[in-house]
This record gives sequence, structure tokens and C-alpha cells, in this order.
Amino acid sequence: MNWYMHPKTNEALAANYVMGTMSARVRRRFEKVMAQRPDVAQIVSQWAERALPLALSLPPQTLSAGSWTRLADTLELNVAASPKRWWQRWLAPVPVGALAMGLVLGLSLPIAWQQYVQTSPTAMQLPESYVGVLATPQGNPGLIVSSLRRGTIVDLKVVTALPVPAGHHLHLWRIDKDGVPTALGALPAAIPGEILHMSLSQPAEEAFFPALELAVSIESDQPPPGQPTQPFVYRGLCGKIWK
Amino acid sequence: MDIANTTADLLARIALGDQSAFRALHDLVGSRLLAIAMRVTQDRALAEDVVQEVLVTLWKQSEGRMAGQALTLSWLCVVTRHRAIDAVRKLQPTTPLSWKDEAGEEHQHDVEDESASPLTQLLEIEGDHVMQRCLRALDEWPRQAVLLGYFEGLTHIEISARLQRPLGTVKAWIRRSLNGLKLCMEGQA
Repeated sequence: MNWYMHPKTNEALAANYVMGTMSARVRRRFEKVMAQRPDVAQIVSQWAERALPLALSLPPQTLSAGSWTRLADTLELNVAASPKRWWQRWLAPVPVGALAMGLVLGLSLPIAWQQYVQTSPTAMQLPESYVGVLATPQGNPGLIVSSLRRGTIVDLKVVTALPVPAGHHLHLWRIDKDGVPTALGALPAAIPGEILHMSLSQPAEEAFFPALELAVSIESDQPPPGQPTQPFVYRGLCGKIWK
Repeated sequence: MDIANTTADLLARIALGDQSAFRALHDLVGSRLLAIAMRVTQDRALAEDVVQEVLVTLWKQSEGRMAGQALTLSWLCVVTRHRAIDAVRKLQPTTPLSWKDEAGEEHQHDVEDESASPLTQLLEIEGDHVMQRCLRALDEWPRQAVLLGYFEGLTHIEISARLQRPLGTVKAWIRRSLNGLKLCMEGQA
């Protein structure tokens, strides 16, 4: 008999899981069920939310002074252990896939441009622009964002389309050097392979100048978000194409 | 933005490999997680190890979480308590909960914490959260059973030994109490 098909049983198991009254063996078995049953995992999440006030009722305990250093050493991280160089600050938040894609574009675009310049009868200089190459959380190419330096229109090319639930939209954010996101606006409905356009409320130079990165999250249509309420679904570096 | 929302935002950034967000999370919730681990383990060094283990696992597996399992502060608290419970249980084989002496007399190794009970601590905290109101509405013994499970990580068997009540009674208390809490909290939401 599959006990996990009964809603009441799931509620009781989820409650006991969160409250901690399961033995280790039973808990591991239940975690296997959770991994295969998002509905059961969701019930556990609801119980965890109910129990959160209990956890937060405990007086906070100060971590030992070396806690972060120990953690960073274990994971070989380099955050804030010493002031980072400018290129480390630039590259640290970038998913590996986005970095690889950026390198490929960075190497191939100048070559392609050089060939174009050499063969084009009307060779011209690349206009001053902002360009963002955003990756999915899995590191795949996701979205290319570009805008003329003093323009107010952003061109968007969706490389990997994502399903957006009804009543929601994709929202574009700039992320500054302190990691603070600022809303830039809602993206139009995506059509893979098509160039889409989005209007900015200010010239691109003002909108993108503070941006170290650009990111996109899925947000509810109402009301407009002040901060991202969901994880980023695209994220990557933002750079300027002029001296 | 409150601690739960800030934590959710940081966890989303950590899932994308953002080390600065990971540092910020450590600074923001480390003291909360340590409090949970210390309440269960009653051992600061062991509790610090638990918090380290939780955060290391979080960083390494941030993209591999269960489908449907929201990355939230409440989830971090549950994981921390489970790790703390596991750490305590690993130590327990050397100190059995009860034993018989040569004369056949039973002894309990487990003794009640002399500090204020979890409920007392909880009720001493200012505020009138729904959870506190609903806990007050429970009968005393079932409430103690739930809180012993939650704050000290005791299993049904251990709660039975601690409260010196039959195992079946303890299981029924906890089952009815959790159902009562759910109904109470949904009614007051």
C-alpha cells in the first residue's frame, strides 16, 4: 500500500518531518518521497513556514569570529577575504556558461567584424552601445540585450525561451557593483529568434551606466515590483562598446 | 525587506553561484541557525560545526534542491535542526537513555534541562504571533511533547521517556496537536 497517496498521511508526515520527531531512517525515506513528489515537498514547505516563528523565537547566537574564514577555506571561496581586483569583481558572479559564451563572443565578434570591415565597401565604426549577454541558471545562452549609448530603445534577442505563467511577465533588472538590483522595466512577450524592442524611461547611458550585470526574473503583472520577488532566470555581464 | 524575504533573495542569487550573496547570507542568518543548532545540541562547538555543514551543503547543492522545495529561511531552519539532531544522535550511543543496574532497577540518564522550558522561553518573548497563540491553546502535556520534538530534536520514543508517558499516548498527543496547530493557524491567518 502506498501511504504517500493519502493527503492526511502526507500532512502528518510533513508535520512530523518539520517538527523533528522522525527517526533518521524514517526521515531519509520521507526525503526520497519528497524528491519524487513536488506536492509532498510543497506540504513540507507549508509546515516549515508555519514553524518558522518557533525557530526565530530563539535568541540569535553570535558566530565565532573565524566562521566565515573557515567556510570560505572549506569551499575555496575568495569573497571579502581580501580586496578583490577589478577583474575578479567582474567575473565572480558570472555563471560558467555565461563566461564561456562571453569569451566565445568576445573572440569571435572582432574577427567577424574585421572580416566585415575588410569586405564591406562602406565600412563604418560600430556605434557606441551597451551589450548584455545573459545566461540561464544552467549556464546556457539565454538572452542578448543591447542598446545605443544615448538611445531609449533596448533590442532583445531571446536565445532560450522560458515559459511565463499567466498574469506574469519577464522583468529586466540592472545589478550594480554592490549587488543591488534596480528595475528597468517589463520585457515584451518573447518570440525565440526574433528581435524584440523595449522602451526605457531614460537614456540607456543613465539606465545602464551603474550596471555591472543585467538579470531577468519572472514577476507578477500587478503591482510593478520594487525588488525581485523570484529567482533570476537570466543573468550576465553588461558591457559598453566604446573607449 | 524582512529577514525571510532577504534570505529568499540571497538564496536565489546563491543558486546562480553568487559568492557575495553567500557571504551576505552567512552574516544574515548564521546567528539564527546557530541558535537553532545550539538549542538542540546544547554544545556550542558542535552547533558551529552543524552550521558550517549546512552552509557547505547549501553552496555545493544550491542548484540540486528538490522539485517543489522552496528555497527559504524556513527551509534552512528545518535543515539546520535535522543536521543538529543527527549530530546529537551520533553521540548518543555512548550515553544510553535508560539502563538497569545490577539490582535490576531502572535509571533514566536523560534529565530535564534546568533552564527555562522552550515554551517558557517562547512565551517570554514579546509579541503575539499566531503560532504562539495557537500553542497556548493546546493542552499542557501535548504542547510539551510538540516543543520537545521541535526544540530538542527528540523522537517519539525519547519524548515518551522524557515525559514518562506511554509511547502511544505521546504519538497521539503530537498527531492531534499538530492537526490542532494547523487548523488554528489557518483559522487565524
